[in-house]
Amino acid sequence: MRIVVIIPGYNEEKYLAETLRGVLKVTKDVIYVDDGSSDASVSIAKKHLHHVLVHETNLGKGAALKTGCEYAFSHLKADAVVFMDADNQHSASDLPRFFAELKKGTSVVFGVRKFSSATPLMRFLGNKFASVLMSALYGRYIPDIPSGFKAMNKTAYKALVWNSAGYEVEMEIAVRVIQKKIPYAELEIEAIYHDNDKGMTAIDALHIAKSLLQWRIGL
Amino acid sequence: MIPLQVLSIIFALFMLYIARIHHKKGHMETFEYALWAFIWVAFMFAAIFPQTFQGIAETLNISRVFDLLVIIGMMILTFLTFQNRIYFKRLEKKLENVIRKRAMDEG
Repeated sequence: MRIVVIIPGYNEEKYLAETLRGVLKVTKDVIYVDDGSSDASVSIAKKHLHHVLVHETNLGKGAALKTGCEYAFSHLKADAVVFMDADNQHSASDLPRFFAELKKGTSVVFGVRKFSSATPLMRFLGNKFASVLMSALYGRYIPDIPSGFKAMNKTAYKALVWNSAGYEVEMEIAVRVIQKKIPYAELEIEAIYHDNDKGMTAIDALHIAKSLLQWRIGL
Repeated sequence: MIPLQVLSIIFALFMLYIARIHHKKGHMETFEYALWAFIWVAFMFAAIFPQTFQGIAETLNISRVFDLLVIIGMMILTFLTFQNRIYFKRLEKKLENVIRKRAMDEG
């Protein structure tokens, strides 16, 4: 089973090399999708990886993930993909557990971060809000929906293919998993928070809430 | 002539000028230019001779011609904004597809 790790990134020169070194210790099947960075992210990625895809302009995380998936499934003939953030917030040591879960036949795997006192308050509240809103609208509680560490096999990707180009992609994936009754697993993962944590803004959160309602009423 | 009428005429003349520039630069077809020219000439006419539209305003239970023009203006603006949004979203999707395809072809 060929599993490819997809790392989307936008202006991640500060942590990208560290992220890639960590992932390469676990697997060589890695794609970096640069989403229109203006810093040195692309050259850093090219030093470490063979597969570097570059968006000429910033489209958003959803579009970058879709580019990575299509490349992985059509060009690299992957059977499954794992998504990781480029800012070294995820620990590559968690990857083997994702691989094992996919090899067991699980269609989608959600990485769920352990919340601790180190978790920024706004991040914690935003995550809880997303899960509670999802639970209210769809009757299913998925913890830590905004987590960018997740995995899916080719069949699940074809059923899920999202329209969201931006941050709301994480929400759309969760919504589609529930709507299409795709079996999924949750894996507890490590989370490392940085000083330059970009995360979501209040505008992103509002946009996501609007999208959730829109998907709920089927528009 | 009251200041509001003068201001309306100046604005309509300015918009006619803008439409003409875009038509000359080829951004606008002759039909569309003629349509805009008609709209702004009609707007000026309504500003100079508001009493002409008094009958229409009264039929619609609108007390002033000015209010009628504001309502019509809002309707046109809403339509144009909606159209722009649709065109913008379509364009955004096309752009996304082109950029993603190029990224994969060159990857």
